[in-house]
Amino acid sequence: MGSVKAVKDFSINRKKNGLLKFLIGAVALLFFLFILNIFVSPVRNYFYAVSVPIQKTFWSAGASSSSFLGSFLQAGSLAKENENLKNENQKLLAEVSSLQSLEQGNQAQNDAFAACQNSGFKLVMAGVIGLDDNDVLSIDKGSADGISDGMPVINQQNVLFGKVLKVYRDFSQIMLVSNKNSVVNVKVQQSDTALPEIDGVVKGKGGLSAYLDLIPINDTINPDDILVTSAIEKSFPKDLLVAKVIQKEKNDQKPFQSAQLDLFFDVKTANNLFVITNYKQTN
Amino acid sequence: MWKKVLVIILLFYFLALLQNSFFTHFNLLGSVPNLVFILFFLLVFFEKKKKKYLIIPLAIVAGLFLDIFSYTYIGPSIVPLIIIGILLKKIQSLLKNREDNYPFVYFLPLFLICFAVYEALLMISLHFFDLSHTLINFDLRFAAGIVYNLFFAIIGFWIFKKHA
Repeated sequence: MGSVKAVKDFSINRKKNGLLKFLIGAVALLFFLFILNIFVSPVRNYFYAVSVPIQKTFWSAGASSSSFLGSFLQAGSLAKENENLKNENQKLLAEVSSLQSLEQGNQAQNDAFAACQNSGFKLVMAGVIGLDDNDVLSIDKGSADGISDGMPVINQQNVLFGKVLKVYRDFSQIMLVSNKNSVVNVKVQQSDTALPEIDGVVKGKGGLSAYLDLIPINDTINPDDILVTSAIEKSFPKDLLVAKVIQKEKNDQKPFQSAQLDLFFDVKTANNLFVITNYKQTN
Repeated sequence: MWKKVLVIILLFYFLALLQNSFFTHFNLLGSVPNLVFILFFLLVFFEKKKKKYLIIPLAIVAGLFLDIFSYTYIGPSIVPLIIIGILLKKIQSLLKNREDNYPFVYFLPLFLICFAVYEALLMISLHFFDLSHTLINFDLRFAAGIVYNLFFAIIGFWIFKKHA
């Protein structure tokens, strides 16, 4: 009888010990994580600073090997693509000639507008070093270079990539337009300036894709329409290139129409980006 | 022993850099292989039953590298990895012993289950601390991610199997 009791006591003690060990382990782990998160900025900055040369090498190697592989994979469709480009080129030439006369008249006005828009911007060039699967890009410039949260990020063709999400001393993280939490106010670029402006928002879907939303049901959008940033919300300078409409999705039961987009930014070819450091934001 | 630990830590670090820089150029519908998770899974899967205690340090190192190279705080990957590691060893101990200690028929479904559970736990933990973070979408991208990761996991499985 006594030995049975002793065995029971022993197994209860073992269970208690196991639970105690688990609790101590869990508390120690939480404490360790808590301490790490207090020093998250210097820890992360240190890791990035150490890793930048390797990351840059990997990034360039990935870019060159993916374009090399891509050229092999797309070899079959090159002829078709070439023909499409020729057709597009002819169409563009026709458009250029009709726009030339208009452009001459508006040259002075356009110059003044462009000067207002762009000349005041201070740009900091940064190299891309990584991308995580939440569509957050890492660049090799940080607060030490004058970058701070929320600053717009573009490339040399004025294509919007996103905005600065988090800044560390020597690097920053950029929330791309395709990030699931990203919402950018845009307008549909109209060839006829007499037409009223069509406003909408580009919402990130993740996986480097996004969609156009909140376009009033009565407005007309077409495939190949160009979307640029609008001045409604002052997060970004206006007229930065964002995306091209691929296919519109109209549902009469909904008050707004949406569209699938082809985003202009290409992470694969982006080796250097520019952060606009002096744009005054309201958000 | 210490040499092995150092090699594993360096390997996790190297793979974390590789998946964040090199493999982003080879994304499949926006998904990149989670090489750190794959290595963690393989190490736990091929770990001898007597060395169960190694799961937690492995999960901490792997999770640390995953979190450091992401945009969130540090921790969301560590806890799911510990749960996955313990779950995996528990399931392995329940499975019928065969002549072959690490059969492919066990590996395949276990990897799929553990990867899906890891993704779900990760999303829940990210959503818990940051409500704006959307919960998991079982969409085409998720499916592509599973297939892509499975491809690398199978390659890793045969490499480990050769040396096990």
